[in-house]
Amino acid sequence: MGGSISKMMGKIFGSKEMRLLMLGLDAAGKTTILYKLKLDTDVTTIPTVGFNVETVTYKNTKFNVWDVGGQDKIRPLWRHYFSGTQGLIFVIDSNDRDRMDEAKNELQRIIQDREMKDALLLVFANKQDIRGALSPRDVSDAMELDRIAKNHVWKVEPSCATTGEGIFEGLAWLSNNVKLPAK
Amino acid sequence: MATVLPTRPNTNSTGTSSTASRNANNNAHVTRQPSLSSFPSNSKRSISGSASHQHTPSSASNPDSAHSYHSSLSASPAASAAASLRHRPTNASNGSGNGRQMRKARQQGAGAKRRARKVPSQYPASSTEKHVEYILVASFDIDRGSIMEHQYPGPVGGDEHMLAELMLPDQTHLRSQDWTIFFLHKDAAAEEDDDGAATGRRHTRKRRSRRQDAGGQAKAGAEEWGASGDEEEDDEDDGYTSEEDSDAEDPIDGPPLVYVLNLVNTKQDNTVKRGAVVKAMAICTRHSFLHIYKPLLLLALEQYFANPVVDTLASLYDAVNNMDLSLMPRLNANERFILQSTDAKDLFIEKFEAIIAQQMAARDRQAQLQANTALPTMSPREQNHLARRYGLPRDTHEFESVVRYANIPVPIKVPTALSPETVGDFSLIKLITTFSTPHTSSAVAFAPTHPHLTTNGSMTHPIIVLLNALLTQKRVIFLGHNLPSSEVAEAVLGACALASGSMLRGFTRHAFPYTDLTKVDDLLKVPGFIAGVTNPAFAFRNEWWDLLCDLSTGRMKISTKIDQAPLTEGVAFFHNQPGGGAGHHAGAGGGISALAAAGASLSAGLGGSAAPTGVMAGDPTGDAAFIASVLKAVEERHGENAIRSKFRKWVLKFTRLAAAFEETVYGASALHIQPSPKVPPSPFFESLAASSPSGPARKASEVELPSEVTGHGYVWPTPALKNAELAANATRVEGWRNTRSYYNFVQDLAALYVHRPVKNVDLQHLHDRLAKLRLGHEQSANIYLAICAAVYTEEEVSHLLAVVVNGTWDHRTGNMGQGQGLFYLVLGLFHPRVEVRDNIADLLARIQEHEAGRHFWANVGRFGPAASRNRASRSMRSAQPANQRSSASACRSEKKALPVRFRENCWHVVSDEHVYVRQTTAWLNVLSQSFEIGKLRWLQLGDQTAGHVIVDAKGGGIRFHHSLREGCEESPERKSLFSVEQRPEEE
Repeated sequence: MGGSISKMMGKIFGSKEMRLLMLGLDAAGKTTILYKLKLDTDVTTIPTVGFNVETVTYKNTKFNVWDVGGQDKIRPLWRHYFSGTQGLIFVIDSNDRDRMDEAKNELQRIIQDREMKDALLLVFANKQDIRGALSPRDVSDAMELDRIAKNHVWKVEPSCATTGEGIFEGLAWLSNNVKLPAK
Repeated sequence: MATVLPTRPNTNSTGTSSTASRNANNNAHVTRQPSLSSFPSNSKRSISGSASHQHTPSSASNPDSAHSYHSSLSASPAASAAASLRHRPTNASNGSGNGRQMRKARQQGAGAKRRARKVPSQYPASSTEKHVEYILVASFDIDRGSIMEHQYPGPVGGDEHMLAELMLPDQTHLRSQDWTIFFLHKDAAAEEDDDGAATGRRHTRKRRSRRQDAGGQAKAGAEEWGASGDEEEDDEDDGYTSEEDSDAEDPIDGPPLVYVLNLVNTKQDNTVKRGAVVKAMAICTRHSFLHIYKPLLLLALEQYFANPVVDTLASLYDAVNNMDLSLMPRLNANERFILQSTDAKDLFIEKFEAIIAQQMAARDRQAQLQANTALPTMSPREQNHLARRYGLPRDTHEFESVVRYANIPVPIKVPTALSPETVGDFSLIKLITTFSTPHTSSAVAFAPTHPHLTTNGSMTHPIIVLLNALLTQKRVIFLGHNLPSSEVAEAVLGACALASGSMLRGFTRHAFPYTDLTKVDDLLKVPGFIAGVTNPAFAFRNEWWDLLCDLSTGRMKISTKIDQAPLTEGVAFFHNQPGGGAGHHAGAGGGISALAAAGASLSAGLGGSAAPTGVMAGDPTGDAAFIASVLKAVEERHGENAIRSKFRKWVLKFTRLAAAFEETVYGASALHIQPSPKVPPSPFFESLAASSPSGPARKASEVELPSEVTGHGYVWPTPALKNAELAANATRVEGWRNTRSYYNFVQDLAALYVHRPVKNVDLQHLHDRLAKLRLGHEQSANIYLAICAAVYTEEEVSHLLAVVVNGTWDHRTGNMGQGQGLFYLVLGLFHPRVEVRDNIADLLARIQEHEAGRHFWANVGRFGPAASRNRASRSMRSAQPANQRSSASACRSEKKALPVRFRENCWHVVSDEHVYVRQTTAWLNVLSQSFEIGKLRWLQLGDQTAGHVIVDAKGGGIRFHHSLREGCEESPERKSLFSVEQRPEEE
């Protein structure tokens, strides 16, 4: 019965399916975010060899979230995941000031790929729980989002993967914006 | 093993190799039959075998030259025809008496040769080939990703980073342990350099990463022909005759693959950054049975975690390369087939005995040699080791050895008979079950369909679709999301073996048991691949594959972007055939207009739906029945070997269908090598002609063999059935005709033909005829005699036994002609013609003496005594007319007197399913009496009928169940085809 109700709800409110790709430098917290979304618990992660993929349902939207390992050497294969991606979640370690430039370059490379031109961009300014973390504003400035993502709908969301703060807000934003005809 | 080398100074040390000097060496070291030295001339470069045509008939009676004489015959058909013509008059004038002598001599020659022959080792101790070439260790660095930590004894070469990625499969962080398998392709150019040069060849060898040569492999395969000949010569260094070397029969396309078995462990460790250590260790070997190294890798990786230095790799390397397989005898292709298809645990035990004896003798000689030359002696430990090894295997299918690593003796079992394209220890049963279970419970139609793939329509069984995809060289991906990469690797390896059937090659070479997204660009350059992946991203990219096999769901999917099958002549040819019922061959006479018409209708409907002709409604290819039989066998727990042999039979049948298809459509087939159509210069035909002047056909065919003997290829009972079957297979045969496996097969056939023991007749064809057709006495006599005449030497008997075990799948008749062992040959003992009985008895005696044949003989069951009796009483019978003779002898020797007296014409029609037999022949009479009461058997009875027979004690007669081959519907009777039905027995 529960099933039929949700089906009905789906009919009324329209249920969506959304393919998300979560990228970022190594140790930014991608896998922790993924499992926070999936299991709503804080899991201790080890480096991702290859990728993780999970399906998360939140607010009537089924998110198919791909989390791909962030090591330097394996970044070139990110592009294989671009095709069909509706939203990019780019995770930034807000404390890793030294690699902000590296992150910017990677993001620029991704977002300007032809296959990503219609994707929404959600940037998680992660690890906000650590003192001295850059604010979302600082992050967007450091990443020069105004410039590199000017053709995209984007948002920077402050987050803390271990507590879940900001994570679901980010998903909600994606869910709300996906039906808009993406620019 | 390496320590043995110094004691054999003459064999390997010389880089320049002249055959003459080598022979001299061999003769000095090993006692060889002097006449064997003539073999190399026709075993190698057989085209140059014309010299052996100089043999005169008298030399043919020389026992030791029997084989060379025989095999030289068909080195070149034209020459052999000439040779046989030259022989015949002599034989004819000598008459049958001489013929029999010659035959005896030939047989004795075979026997003598067997006793004297050296049994070569698959892995001679003196070989410079190492069991394991490299040991690698890779780890996942949290900053840099996958990196190679160590390579021992040196770098493999190629892209190190890519290797490391393969060793650390996707999602390995999710499980504590995983196995992967992948292949490395050796550089073809490097192979040519290292011919003969034993020292330093390791170092000159360069590995190239597997993708690089993918495109040019067919070409490399052709170039490799010269090289394989060289290898053959290398083998002779051991002093063994390489006359029937399996290597010679296994030409390789391109350099052999390097197989990599890899173990990866993920260990949670809070003391390290980010809490885990991921390390992988891999063994690179040329042995396709790489699974034997699994326990060693487990031990060694554990050691490496404790002690991460290169010495850990070195000790493993030394341990595995000290593994001694020198007592494992080498088998030729036919022997391998026989061993694989037979369960007897002591099959070919003679070879093991012989090789042990040889090695002990060699030890003795070496001991003497050492005493004389004061070479360093073996360590006592080694001698100990040796003494322990001299034991016969418990099961000859496996060779047991021990690897001592880290003070642990690790038992190793190596399969004695290896098939091409069989790598690792996959399970076909698992593969089949994975995909047939969802199909059975709720079949999903394939959409789209494809003429090459969905040969039984959209509901074609997925395993058949997979087989078709592999045969027609499609891009196949096995996806195992959230599964260990070992599972996808096993599926890929299983699929290769499935389609290869131990016959076709070119699958493993283009297989990527485990691969990931990083290599997709290279993967896509390979035309037709079989790849295993765990990344579901592959599923979304249907431009990357033609067939996606999802191991998690057990479903297969044909890509909507698959290339359409071109309309070929063959497809059009059969599409244009009317009904197929009349079975007339329209020939290519339909011409262009017919082709165009067919093209028009086909282009509209090339949907891969049921084949145009509808004789076998619903299952024109017979695949549904085949799969049903496979599933039944799986259900009944027949075991992996039984399943593999079923698929081998399927593939064998497919190749033979393809040959018939090509001949029908194109007039000739590359899949058939025409043997000399002339009478083999064997005396039996002359004796046959002399002793049976009654046969009217015989006189006319003095010069040529009877037509039923010269036939070849697949046997169909009627032309209509042939037409229907070829039509049903037309699309996939055409799809196969442009593939690597097809070209390899054509090449292999040519190479195999050189070494084929029986060349002048198609033994398989003859056996099929006996099994499938209703033959008259005259026809069957000719076939029996032709088989008897062709099979004398040990190799020829092996060939015949391979034919007998091979059989082929035929959906109409179930297991016709297979699983019956020598049944159809033994039936010849009851032939009305005395010379047939005599010849068959002699043939069976030869089979009995054969080291594998005796096992077949043992399985003949209660025919055995009958045959012996037949043989024993032959002299007594000689004065009697044929009919009385045979029946009398059978009656006499049957212990339990038959309670029913069979008389002529006493059978009658019982019901529709029973056939009235008008005339009871002597053959029939004998046959019936030789059966036990209540036994149900599948028989071929002269020209009367074929069906199964119940000797019914109550009814006082034989009932012939209607034969399926006469075109009736399948009946429940069929199920009990080979079962024994117990009937009340009359005391």
